[in-house]
Amino acid sequence: MTVGGLAAHLASFAGALRARGVRVVLSDETDALSALTLVDLADREEVRRALAVALKIRRRDRSVFDELFDQYFSASAREAAIAEAARTRSVPHAAVPRRIGAPGWRNVEGETARELPLGDTPAYSPNALLRRKSFEECTDADLAPMERLLIRLAEKLATRPSRRLVPARGRGVMDPRRSFRSALATDGEFLRLARRSRAIEEPRLVALCDTSGSMDAHTRFLLAFLLALKRAARRTEIFVFNTSLTRLTSWLAPGKVVRSLERVSASVPDWSGGTRIGECLETFVENHLDATIDAKTVVLIVSDGLDRGDTEPLVRAMRAIRSRARRVVWLNPLLSDPRYEPIARGMAAALPFVDRLLPAHNLETLERLLPWLAA
Amino acid sequence: MQEAMERHGYIAEPEIATAVFLAKEMKKPLLVEGDAGVGKTEIAKVLARLLGTELIRLQCYEGLDVATALYEWDYPRQMLRLRMAGDSPDPSKIEDVIFSREYLLERPLLKAITRASGPPVLLIDEIDRADDGFEAFLLEILSDFQVTIPELGTIRAEHVPHVLLTSNRSREIGDALRRRCLYLYIEHPTFEKEVRIIRSRVPGAGDRLAAQIARFVESLRERRLAKSPGVAETIDWSQALVRLHQDELDPEIVSETLGCVLKDHNDLRELKGEEIATLVEAAAR
Repeated sequence: MTVGGLAAHLASFAGALRARGVRVVLSDETDALSALTLVDLADREEVRRALAVALKIRRRDRSVFDELFDQYFSASAREAAIAEAARTRSVPHAAVPRRIGAPGWRNVEGETARELPLGDTPAYSPNALLRRKSFEECTDADLAPMERLLIRLAEKLATRPSRRLVPARGRGVMDPRRSFRSALATDGEFLRLARRSRAIEEPRLVALCDTSGSMDAHTRFLLAFLLALKRAARRTEIFVFNTSLTRLTSWLAPGKVVRSLERVSASVPDWSGGTRIGECLETFVENHLDATIDAKTVVLIVSDGLDRGDTEPLVRAMRAIRSRARRVVWLNPLLSDPRYEPIARGMAAALPFVDRLLPAHNLETLERLLPWLAA
Repeated sequence: MQEAMERHGYIAEPEIATAVFLAKEMKKPLLVEGDAGVGKTEIAKVLARLLGTELIRLQCYEGLDVATALYEWDYPRQMLRLRMAGDSPDPSKIEDVIFSREYLLERPLLKAITRASGPPVLLIDEIDRADDGFEAFLLEILSDFQVTIPELGTIRAEHVPHVLLTSNRSREIGDALRRRCLYLYIEHPTFEKEVRIIRSRVPGAGDRLAAQIARFVESLRERRLAKSPGVAETIDWSQALVRLHQDELDPEIVSETLGCVLKDHNDLRELKGEEIATLVEAAAR
């Protein structure tokens, strides 16, 4: 096979990987090509290994890689694909993902959600009534002022000092390097000592939000709150779950909360459906725990704990999350009812692993949550 | 490569050998991920032995900064030199003297770049523990292999070092850094490989014991444990059993020494006497 043919074939293989959602960029392809010049091309397994290394295939993408590799690099498919690639010089197109029918936002007044201008309105005096109004009674008209309150709330999120030292004035430990530099100007006399102190760090949050039917009345506002948090603390990861788990972070562009919400509800399968908390959290533990939660992360679970499933997976998942996170906070909208006791099976099973169980049915309660989220 | 690594005491799967070979030939850093104790760090040590060169290690931790990773000036000495010079007529001359290589303390990264006699192996261990900021800084070093020191100018690498980065995946490594590297994920070893590792690292362990240990550990990994045992644990445990003059597993010894393998309170508590007996029995078959 000529190098040119190999390159074209590699490009179409990389295109197929991209179409399946594996992140492969041009520099990976050039790496792969130079790797292939170093290995024995007759040895198929050797080629497979070299490509996996050079294309930086992560573990979670490995099965897709293997499947496509078998397609593209089987003896007969190879020749055919090269001919094909030479003729069209094109990359297979991604199948357009099918949209799963998602119900629109639950809308109290029956109108479609309007896009609400956020603008750079200066200080907004919090409306006491609005703050106490339960999410269940809120309408679309309340969403705009609510959103502004939420953003201001999220900005209050306290921060925590990091271990990293940055230059500081008047406090902290001496910084010999900068002190020395300034001493040079005064002929070696230390007239002023430069100092360093601990940097202020953004909190890290991972939010897991239940979007099942029983949560419907609250979901919209709670998600708006999470989105606002995401603006204040950039490293916030948001997942939603009902019968399956969806990572939202990549869907959330900065900008209008309402539009993000619409996009989200359209792309999450089974919105307002049932719940399988345990299975969903287990999926989270398996696929995302390592990458998203560390000792600095506060985990925020938003759910009413009404689960029809078996509690065994929930307990396992909660234990795994608890052992890794800095703090686990559970928000339960049902707590607003003074008669409520956390005896729903899912809730009861998860309770031993929760540091803090807090209500979340209006803005005031969300405000009380903030100190627990501070890193 | 596989054979060469084996000669130096590392039982490498073809996957690992290919990755190390490509990294060496393409002069690219190799990012190695995998669970704790699967032998990530060991690769660097073996590579250094194999190439007959020095291993320079940078252990990452939260708050790691340039002064500990790259270079620092030797302030006390600079100060002494300044004092000794007294009322020197030419201050700029003194500045040249005290900001020369002689007064520079080389930290691992700079050391790896300036090593004169051939390329060293640079191991950047547990990169996931360092801050994102440090990762970005590393990106710069790894792409150009040059360092700019304001007082001295730019120092270029004499030889491009063989770089290995390891990560326990306690956080996701940034995409940009990943793209600069070749990537290898190490799985837990297969049964056959583990037996060979035990035999090569713990010479006192007989075939029977090694096989039983490997099978027992393998069955442990299949369970949902908080901390799955790695190869390092297997080796520790084998050494413990050899020290206790065991030539096969029995439930009593296993439950007494299980702390070598399981290092989590809940895991230990969950594995009760009867279960150990069944696992031992299964391993003996």
